[in-house]
Amino acid sequence: MTLLDVSGLTRRFGGLTAVSELSFHIRPGELLSIIGPNGAGKTTLFNLLTGIYKPTSGKILFNGIDIAGCKPYQATRYGIARTFQMTSIFKQATVLDNVLIGQSLRARVGVWGSILRTPATVKEERKTREKAREILSFVGLADKENRLAGNLTEEAQKRLSVSMALATGPALLLLDEPTGGVNLEEISGLIDLVGKIRKAGITICLIEHKMRMVMSISDRIVVLNYGKKIAEGTPKEVANNEEVIKAYLGARYAA
Amino acid sequence: MTSQGGMETSRTAYPSGTIAWCLVLILAVAVPPLVGGYLTSMLILIAIWTIMCFSMNLIYGYTGQLSLGHAAFLGIGAYSFGLLTVKLHLGFWPAFAAAIAITGLFGFLIGIPALKLRGPYFILVTLGFAVIIGVIVIAWIDLTGGANGLAGIPRPDPIPLPWGGKLRFDSLLNMYYFVLVFLVLTVLFCHRLIHSLVGKIFIAISHNENLTESLGINTLSQKVLSFTLSAMLAGIAGVLYATYNIVISPEVTHFARGMDVVAYLIVGGAGTMAGPMIGTFILMAVPEVLQVVPYVKTLINGIILMLFLIFLPSGVMGGFNSTLGKLLKSRTG
Repeated sequence: MTLLDVSGLTRRFGGLTAVSELSFHIRPGELLSIIGPNGAGKTTLFNLLTGIYKPTSGKILFNGIDIAGCKPYQATRYGIARTFQMTSIFKQATVLDNVLIGQSLRARVGVWGSILRTPATVKEERKTREKAREILSFVGLADKENRLAGNLTEEAQKRLSVSMALATGPALLLLDEPTGGVNLEEISGLIDLVGKIRKAGITICLIEHKMRMVMSISDRIVVLNYGKKIAEGTPKEVANNEEVIKAYLGARYAA
Repeated sequence: MTSQGGMETSRTAYPSGTIAWCLVLILAVAVPPLVGGYLTSMLILIAIWTIMCFSMNLIYGYTGQLSLGHAAFLGIGAYSFGLLTVKLHLGFWPAFAAAIAITGLFGFLIGIPALKLRGPYFILVTLGFAVIIGVIVIAWIDLTGGANGLAGIPRPDPIPLPWGGKLRFDSLLNMYYFVLVFLVLTVLFCHRLIHSLVGKIFIAISHNENLTESLGINTLSQKVLSFTLSAMLAGIAGVLYATYNIVISPEVTHFARGMDVVAYLIVGGAGTMAGPMIGTFILMAVPEVLQVVPYVKTLINGIILMLFLIFLPSGVMGGFNSTLGKLLKSRTG
């Protein structure tokens, strides 16, 4: 049983092959981390999975459906949500509105219902707001719903971007460096949040540079270098892999 | 606690906003009978162009897609209404509804290919569209009457009053109130739309289209929706223009009229509810008060627009809101 099954995935930009013949899979409920040096193709991989880039070749099976080359909004509707490396939120909107927009793909509201304030629309909007508040309290931002998102701390903005992705109702959540740019003291809180999301039954794929964090929370790790998979396995297996040590520290450190 | 502070500011700001809107409405109803016919005719035109400006506000101010082609939609609305009434002898209200539907359909059909493009490419397509419609209106003489224009467009049908008699629209004052009703409906329409989830999505697209798309929203279809609604509002302005003027000429579809509206919106404050009213009023009334010849009018408007772009790019309302925000902050802090 696999949730995501990637095979032979390749993406070229002119002469550069950013992702090359990549194959891996993610099982439901698992936490898989993607690691690798800068420029290894990790974010490109996320962009391929979410339809921002079209693959040059290869397959992406999600729940058995080939979603390679679909549009970004379609990938989200299939159940793949993501956060971005550069925290992406609507800074001029309130925290609650940010989550509402994340949820709107599930809300049944139309123009005429909104203009005439039909009971069905009013009820739907109330339901959507309640759901958004639930998500905000899940990520620990319940007391900040009326704040402008841009006025939150970097750590709270990260939480908000995660809650927006959660609002879309994903089966698979792709987190691109969720602790990047956050104070050391605040990282453990974000790690707890990742664990909480996992407990809620959402499968997670994580890009991270902080090795200690990756080693402690991942079920399995895929290591990329120059767009190719050089290792895959449990944290222990990967840590002892010669190819991985070579890629990170240079050839002379390998035994 | 801090979040409560945010709620308080919105709670105190809200009633004063409502009071301001009510005052404007009272003035708009009470003043015209006291002024002469010339000023009333001026106010009719200002009200029609304010509806146009709300149309521009929806697609540019709130959805972030600048259209330089909105004169085409005004023209399509005016000419469809004119042709349906003059040539097909359709009744006033059926022709009104059909003209809005036709304008909306044009918006929908142009919107699909045009909104796949982003930024300057979209702007250029809308400009090209307005130029093409302008040329067609002039060149298709059999249909539109070409440069001679289209005459014999009816005023609104008299509306029977409950206490007997009929409300006729042959006087300037009654025509003004007729247009004012549609302006009020336009304001209510935009207010409710912008505060609904649909409106929040439009605003989200204007802030960050890629992020909105990544949240599972088909941004193209939402932009087409906004563009179509915006075209329909412009169509309403076109119909009102036609029924007020009785005669229409290709001048109404000239693409420069669409750019005027963009200027009104920027001066008033794009993406605000009061912006279209303030901007249109300032830029249409100032040259009128100064009693200048038409080409000097364009010059004055150009200077006002440039001053705003340099010193207050968020417009009158943008400046007002940020000043208000600072005042509230200094009071609470």
